[in-house]
Amino acid sequence: MTNGTTSSAEVLENLKLELRRGCLIVAVLAQLRIEQYGYTLRKSLADDGLAIDEGTLYPLLRRLETQGLLVSQWREEDKRNKRFYRLSPEGELILAQLLEEWQNINTSLNRILQEV
Amino acid sequence: MEILDGYLSAVKRCLPRKQRTDIVAELREDLLSQLEARQEELGRPLTDAEQYGVLMQHGDPMIVARRYWPNRRSLSVGWELIGPELFPAYLFVLGLNLAITVGVIPLSLLIYHAPITVQPFILPVVAQIVCVTAVFILLNLVRLKFPQQWIYPPAQLASVIPLQRWYTVSGLVACSVLTLWWLAIPYFQFLVLGPSAGELKLAPVWHRYYVPVLLLFLAGTGQRAVSVVRPDWTWLLPTSRFLISGVGAVVMFFFRTHPLVVVDASARNLEHAEKLARSTNAWMGWGLFGPWLWIYLAVGALFYAWYSRPYLRRLLNARQDRVRPAHQLNGVL
Repeated sequence: MTNGTTSSAEVLENLKLELRRGCLIVAVLAQLRIEQYGYTLRKSLADDGLAIDEGTLYPLLRRLETQGLLVSQWREEDKRNKRFYRLSPEGELILAQLLEEWQNINTSLNRILQEV
Repeated sequence: MEILDGYLSAVKRCLPRKQRTDIVAELREDLLSQLEARQEELGRPLTDAEQYGVLMQHGDPMIVARRYWPNRRSLSVGWELIGPELFPAYLFVLGLNLAITVGVIPLSLLIYHAPITVQPFILPVVAQIVCVTAVFILLNLVRLKFPQQWIYPPAQLASVIPLQRWYTVSGLVACSVLTLWWLAIPYFQFLVLGPSAGELKLAPVWHRYYVPVLLLFLAGTGQRAVSVVRPDWTWLLPTSRFLISGVGAVVMFFFRTHPLVVVDASARNLEHAEKLARSTNAWMGWGLFGPWLWIYLAVGALFYAWYSRPYLRRLLNARQDRVRPAHQLNGVL
């Protein structure tokens, strides 16, 4: 019984992780419509209820930059060099399409839930 | 910022070569912001332990670095045996061990004027593959069960990381059992010779090496006993094990150059006993006390020497600090 409960909890945790993974990408892209550096981006995501650890965020930012969705620039602020990220023109297009897809999924899901 | 630098240098070592500087600069900025935020929260400078707490939350340097690698390979047989975070380290350690083994065995064969054949390589190579894979599977399990624990703490941070009591206690139990085994050997030779004890006996070389090995076992047990009582004496583990492993490597290198067993005068069938002595010597020389043992100890000594460096540096700096006022006085007088 305990094993069953533990494995259900693990399954739920894995499913939640999968669900969050896609949402986090959209959230990061949406936040970067305004230029930010890593630390402030993480804080603003956490303040909006989507906490993400640094070990996940920075590799994700790099991947999105490699894919051409973000652009970055090293600049000095408060006497320290910081890397600022913002959405690229291509990223803006992709974000708009992703948000549209998100709305479609949300509408479909609501319809399914109402049917039940 | 010695602790932060230590942490970042540990992350840097495991990062993709081309992006190292850039990633570390960004991580440094993020961690500095976090340390400053914590400092503002407390209204005072952070202690070493508090700085370590922030880094601990950030994660194991090796795991943090592995997230930047594009190819995340792993070892899986239906289920994950070695995860993508540990897999590159597994390949590195296995490759290094195999390279050392394959390099050292022909040298040993040449030194002892033995013919170079495939046979002496088989057991050590298979043993390395099995042992390294088993250790990494275990590490993977530990990582999954205790994601907060660091598998490979950087040497620069070792001084602020208290030793885990379960680790020291399990080491103390294992080392005590080995010491008791060694102590019992002169009285119960079958503990080494097994069923051949009636026809064979331990060679005179044991008289020469018995006490040094016993002292090494006692030193290892003593270190673990002290560490159980004083887990905050973090310098004790690397420095004592550097010495124990270093001396142990030398002792074991020379120990196996002699025949380890001889025929017992009371043996009924001398011809059979001589054959048995030859095969037992070969088995011990390449198995129980084979080259793997002194190589393992030598690699261990190098590993602990690396971990002892920060303590040595601190000791030297402390001495210089004690000397400095005298220089200043000399200048004034």
